[in-house]
Parts: sequence; structure tokens; C-alpha cells
Amino acid sequence: MSGNTNREIRVLTVDDSASMRALLHATLKSRGFEVEQAEDGAEALEWLRENQVDLVITDINMPRLDGFGLIERLREGRVHEGRPILVLTTESSDSKKARARAAGATGWIVKPFDADKLTTAIRRVTH
Amino acid sequence: MNAAPPSSPVRLTILQGEAKASADPAVEMTTILGSCVATCLYDPLAKVGGMNHFLLGEPSGGSASARVDGDYGLYLMEVLINDMLAQGALKQRLRARLYGGGNLNPDLGAIGSANARFAREFLRKEGIEKAFEDLEGTHARRVDFRPATGQVRCRRIAETAAPTQKPQARPSDLVGGVELF
Repeated sequence: MSGNTNREIRVLTVDDSASMRALLHATLKSRGFEVEQAEDGAEALEWLRENQVDLVITDINMPRLDGFGLIERLREGRVHEGRPILVLTTESSDSKKARARAAGATGWIVKPFDADKLTTAIRRVTH
Repeated sequence: MNAAPPSSPVRLTILQGEAKASADPAVEMTTILGSCVATCLYDPLAKVGGMNHFLLGEPSGGSASARVDGDYGLYLMEVLINDMLAQGALKQRLRARLYGGGNLNPDLGAIGSANARFAREFLRKEGIEKAFEDLEGTHARRVDFRPATGQVRCRRIAETAAPTQKPQARPSDLVGGVELF
């Protein structure tokens, strides 16, 4: 099983959609990743105060704290300044992509995601 | 009220695979549904409405059960919701009305029902209130939706008036694109 190669990689997914969280959980688990989940940027930030992950995958449009805000806040602190953060979004506008990049995102992935491409991207940014 | 209601609406046709939102009182969204399902979402406080229109096929990989490609459906729902949020709507205020999902093409089996099931299940999982549904059956429908007021008119129409619709494949060249900075 190829999944074993990913066993130690721990991913936090941040998305306000329960359906999307379920889909990401099933997809990433099946690829052998360890998966943690938060419902929005604020919950993710709180969880990351006391926990460590190898990678954060975040949506953009979320209540309380959106994806841009989450990236900015994580880059402000020392603990997560080098943490890879992938944006996973339905947004395709160049201005939003540029804003994510300026905030410190590591990459931009367009929904609906392709499981193979997502897995490859996770491996590349966490190697 | 000084402004008289506009005499003729600005008509927006929502085609399969599309999602649009608007707060313009002059806009009327229209769609013709056979097996396809249309979701009309409305935020009564922000007075923003939106509609999508989809016909999901079986997931690639071919499952024997009457399942549809929910991953792609999820995407089409999210595009609609995000468009509404961008115009001031809040997810927890959204109310949904579902239309279509007729099983009128025997060659496609009960694909209308499978799409209707996906839509109901999505709303349930997301905690979006379903205000109304007119789904399944064996007839075609025409839906007219005023996004600024949330008013919907749904009429049964002759089966021959509905376009012959095939389940939609994901536009694979466009999706899942990865760009590392």
C-alpha cells in the first residue's frame, strides 16, 4: 500500500463546509495522511496554539476568520512562520491568488480538487 | 416608494453547470429542468438570492449503486454559496428551495432522483434550511426566480420543451490545478 509512505504527515484542514470536511477527511485518510480538522480560521488558530502539524490546508471564504486572515495570523507568530500552508478554494481570481501569496501562502489549489494532484502537492511542500 | 417596479425583468438564463447570485430587483433568473436539479438560495435579510443548475453523473470509477459524482456537486454548491457571500449573504441565514430531478429519460434510469438525493443531503449536512422542494416525478419544469425577493414560480412544462440533458463531466483540465508559490 502506497499509503504507508505518508504515515507521519499530519495535515490540518480548515473549511466551514461539513461536506467538504468529510470529503477531505476521507481522501487524505485513504492516502495515509493523519488528518485534523477545523471549521474556520478562528478555530484553526486556537487549535494551532497547542498543537503541531506538518501542513495546513485552508479554504478562503469562512466565517469569523477567513483564509487570508488565518495565513496572516500564522505568519505573524514564530511558531508557524515556516509552516507550509496550501489554499484550497473555488476562487480563481488572480487578485485573490496574489493576496494569498502576499500573505504567505505556500500554494494555491483550485476546487474541485484532484486527489492525486493534491497528494503530490502535499508531499512536495512537506518533504 | 417612488420607484415603480420595472416593467420587464432582466432575464438571466441559468444553464447546466452554472451558478449565479444577484441582489438586483430587476433580475429574474430562469431555467428549464428535466432531470437536472436547480437550487434556489435566498438570504431574506441581505435580500440576495442565487441559483445553480446541475446534473451529476455517476462518479468516475463507475459505481453500481445509484450514486452521483457528489464531489463535483459539492463544488457547484460552493460556487453558488460563495457568490452569495460575496454579495452580503450569510450562510446561516440561507433558505433553500429545490426543483427538478424529474426521471423523464428512461435511458438515464432514476438519475433525477439520484440528483435530488444529493441536493437534499447537501442541505442537511450543511445545516441549510430547506424551505420547499418540488423534486422528482416524471415531468419537466420551468423555474423563474427573483433573487432580490426570493420569489419562485415553478411550472410544469411539456417534456419536449426540456433540453435533452446528459450528466455533466467535470471540466478536468480546469480543476484541481496546483500552483506552488
